[in-house]
Amino acid sequence: MTDDKVAGLPAANAFFLALPSLVVFVLMGFTPLVLIATWSFWSFDPDTYWIKPVWSLTSYVALLQDGRASVLLRTAGLAGLTAAASTLLAVPAATVVGLLSGRRRAALLVALFTIPFFTSGLVRAFAWRLVLGREGIINNVLISLGVADTPVEWLLFSDFAVVLGMVAAYLPFAIIPIVLLFARIDQSVIRASQDLGAGFWMMFSTIVLPLIMPGIIAGFLFVFVVAVGTSMEIQLLGGAGASSTSIMINDVMRVVNFPLAFAIATVVVISLIALVIIANGMLKLSRLFEELGT
Amino acid sequence: MTLDSIVTGRTNGGRLLFTAIAALSLTIMYAPALYLLFASLNPDEQLRLVAPNRYSLTWYGALLDDHRLFGALKESVFIALATAVLATPIGLSAALAYRAMTRMRNIFLLILLSAVFVPGTIEGLGLSVMLRFARVSPSWVTVTMGHLLWTLPFAATVSLLGLSAVKPNTIEAARDLGASPMRAFVDVTLPLMRGSLISSFVFAFLLSLNEHARAYYLVGRQNTLPLHMFGAMNSGASPTIYAFSGAVIVVSFASVALIFFGVARQQRGDDGERRVRRRLESVVVLR
Amino acid sequence: MTRNRWNNPFQGIQSQLSRRQLIENTALGVGALAVGSLGLPRAARAANEVNFWATGTLDIGDDGWEIFMNESGVKVDFTDNGNDPGPVIAKLAAGNANDIYDVGGLQGGSEKELAKRGLISPWDLSQIPNYTSLWQWAKDIPYLTYEGKVYGIPTVINADSIIALREKAGNVDSYGVVFDPKLKGKTAMEDAWINSVTFTAIYLKNAENTKIAEPGNLTADELGLVMEFLIKHKKDGQFRTFWNGWEQGLQLVVNREVWVMTGWEPIVYAARDRGVDCYYAVPQEGYEAWGNNAILLKGAVNRGLSKMAHQFVNALLAGFYGCKLGTRRGYLVPTDNNVAYATAHSAAFDRAKVKELGEHVKAKFSSKVYWQNTRPDNFQLYEQWWQRLRNA
Repeated sequence: MTDDKVAGLPAANAFFLALPSLVVFVLMGFTPLVLIATWSFWSFDPDTYWIKPVWSLTSYVALLQDGRASVLLRTAGLAGLTAAASTLLAVPAATVVGLLSGRRRAALLVALFTIPFFTSGLVRAFAWRLVLGREGIINNVLISLGVADTPVEWLLFSDFAVVLGMVAAYLPFAIIPIVLLFARIDQSVIRASQDLGAGFWMMFSTIVLPLIMPGIIAGFLFVFVVAVGTSMEIQLLGGAGASSTSIMINDVMRVVNFPLAFAIATVVVISLIALVIIANGMLKLSRLFEELGT
Repeated sequence: MTLDSIVTGRTNGGRLLFTAIAALSLTIMYAPALYLLFASLNPDEQLRLVAPNRYSLTWYGALLDDHRLFGALKESVFIALATAVLATPIGLSAALAYRAMTRMRNIFLLILLSAVFVPGTIEGLGLSVMLRFARVSPSWVTVTMGHLLWTLPFAATVSLLGLSAVKPNTIEAARDLGASPMRAFVDVTLPLMRGSLISSFVFAFLLSLNEHARAYYLVGRQNTLPLHMFGAMNSGASPTIYAFSGAVIVVSFASVALIFFGVARQQRGDDGERRVRRRLESVVVLR
Repeated sequence: MTRNRWNNPFQGIQSQLSRRQLIENTALGVGALAVGSLGLPRAARAANEVNFWATGTLDIGDDGWEIFMNESGVKVDFTDNGNDPGPVIAKLAAGNANDIYDVGGLQGGSEKELAKRGLISPWDLSQIPNYTSLWQWAKDIPYLTYEGKVYGIPTVINADSIIALREKAGNVDSYGVVFDPKLKGKTAMEDAWINSVTFTAIYLKNAENTKIAEPGNLTADELGLVMEFLIKHKKDGQFRTFWNGWEQGLQLVVNREVWVMTGWEPIVYAARDRGVDCYYAVPQEGYEAWGNNAILLKGAVNRGLSKMAHQFVNALLAGFYGCKLGTRRGYLVPTDNNVAYATAHSAAFDRAKVKELGEHVKAKFSSKVYWQNTRPDNFQLYEQWWQRLRNA
């Protein structure tokens, strides 16, 4: 395996290439992580409302109570659902950009897909309340068309609204990585397959899909990561008191139970990393990022 | 490279289906943004759609006087630019390092991803404690640090994707023609990666522009834009924040249109050039 | 770059760190210096400038603070703290709030712990002549004092109840309407146990005669009763949603998403301005009282801003701030100086309206009122129960 051929740089440079990012992560990322993990094993001090360096597992035990663990699972589940829905929409959308459009139209579409993200995500999520609400646009249209007699309640303050809001917000993250990989596809190969009589679907599934797979996976990962850490959509569009990891952490910090907040964060990091390791093993992610063979 | 799409001709309903889904995606993405645009033309205090004959630019006028929002916007744009400027090259180097590694790959990947999985509030709080200990005063610098941690994995992954589109044959050809590794990288690989480098920059910029959990603990006195919006939503917002979203949409559309038509005109010129060159080449080959 | 002296909790190690600081600060400061020369905001600070880090509801806008400065001599730099006491306390306790901000404004209850940890300083009442003009029951709120010293100056006070849409809900005079099955899916409460649990406890105590001593400070058993009640109703689908923050609450009312909800009184004023016929109910069971208070951050004292901060807080109670805030939002500063000011400046403020706001709030407080507190004795237990409610 001589990957250096693509970059054109000798393999010995790996360490120096890695240095800048390692500096960032070790210097700025690692130390807070260590601090957080350490403090999660300390105890809440009821005298000072702060932390005292008394080692204990109370925080981790508390994680198993009051349904806190289910919040972590639920957040991951919603994020996964959002990522899946986004990917399902992103593959065709990216194909339109990368395969079925000329260069100008492709560039225009990419710009179109990116523009909403320049506006504030919080305000966009809030606007969904006005679109999906009892007196919102969709209900107004449904009622005037006679499809519904009374406003449809589950459009808002439900999981549906949350997933819709998140997909709408993070779809570009799923689309762009796939679009980037269309550069891998050689026009001549496509033409050849068409000459040989392959239909569009055959050509798409045997040639295109395998080549854009890393982009699909990267897009899924991007949306998942962003969705698992956000709280805006859930707070604005979810039902009564809907919870997520971030919301729970804020709740816990509001009662200055910092060790518990840090324990939650530590568990989240470890489980997500474990998830990535498992996915890597199952899907051989690292192989996917290598360049095409000839 | 012609201007035609890669696939022409019949697609057995593929083009129709995919275009429909792409249109659906655009609809979903633009529904709230367009709602905001039209609702912000409503001169009343309440955010709601009104008939076109009542449209007015009241709130856009008020937006121009909203110093707090512009202060926050300036701060956010600056931080986002700084983050993107740093994240793109560092992400590229991380991607290159990943490719060059063999055994250390997985560990490197995990290090890259670790910071991105930490919930934002905790990451921001932890980082602010460390920075306080190191006597670094909170300002746009500290926010950029937090945002760099957040956006670097995205930038690195996008660079990896871009790298995977560069064929080794191309590089070998360049090397055969006498280019040094560095030249091959700069003159061949980088231009081929242009799309992913731009995407990397834009992703980092947008992620930073919209991030508020980490920023809350890392800001100095000047709130960033998301924090301003967050505060406004919690304490009472003037409709200027909705006008702001509308303004961003309009300005973005206008810029895209300008670039689009500007490039279109230039390409028509290039087209002619290309046609001439191809004809010359065919003449040369045939002879 | 500012040259603040920071409130360093690690003072013993200071000298050892100095060289390291220099290197790090240089490395990071190079970029900042380069930028500073570009004239980016917040480079230097005026001598009479005080930063007020408070919930946005306490803001009177740039034009308001300008007049404030002309009258008091104190230049106010207002920063919105996001209104959520959780991150505010975290930023004070663990973060860098003391390095950046001077005076804080937030919901009362946390003064004791902040004082214990030396994060805030007591107010010197001799430097705040207007303190005497505060209404006595505002000064008497228990959590404002700790070990005999005053740490919180009451800035805004109100008594909360229910917002109701007249056409949909008719005449509401009890919290029972929020839990009424006839209004299933048409009610809301705030997503904050501080408020919502107290409201429910007030209702259960007075309407259903549940044994509850202090609705604002429940024992573990009382809390269990109240929360089981709430959980049952949530499971039954009684609540359309829980709201969080001004815009969310206002939107629920104006868009008629809900017909009744517990909430803040100024939402009624704003909704009326937008043409919605709603009103603030006068429940038989009583009101829930709350206060936003000004606290003096230790960092400000360390930076030599104590005198300025006292001048600032004194000016808050001088009358202009109260009139402006009352007109702008409908929130009340609990002092008679407001009416005095409005009388003296009748061109700027309608004396009758200012007086009416004051009388209105006073009347509420002379009826049945239960105080809210961000730190009831079992506050961590409250949060655990709220998690269970979230997951129900």
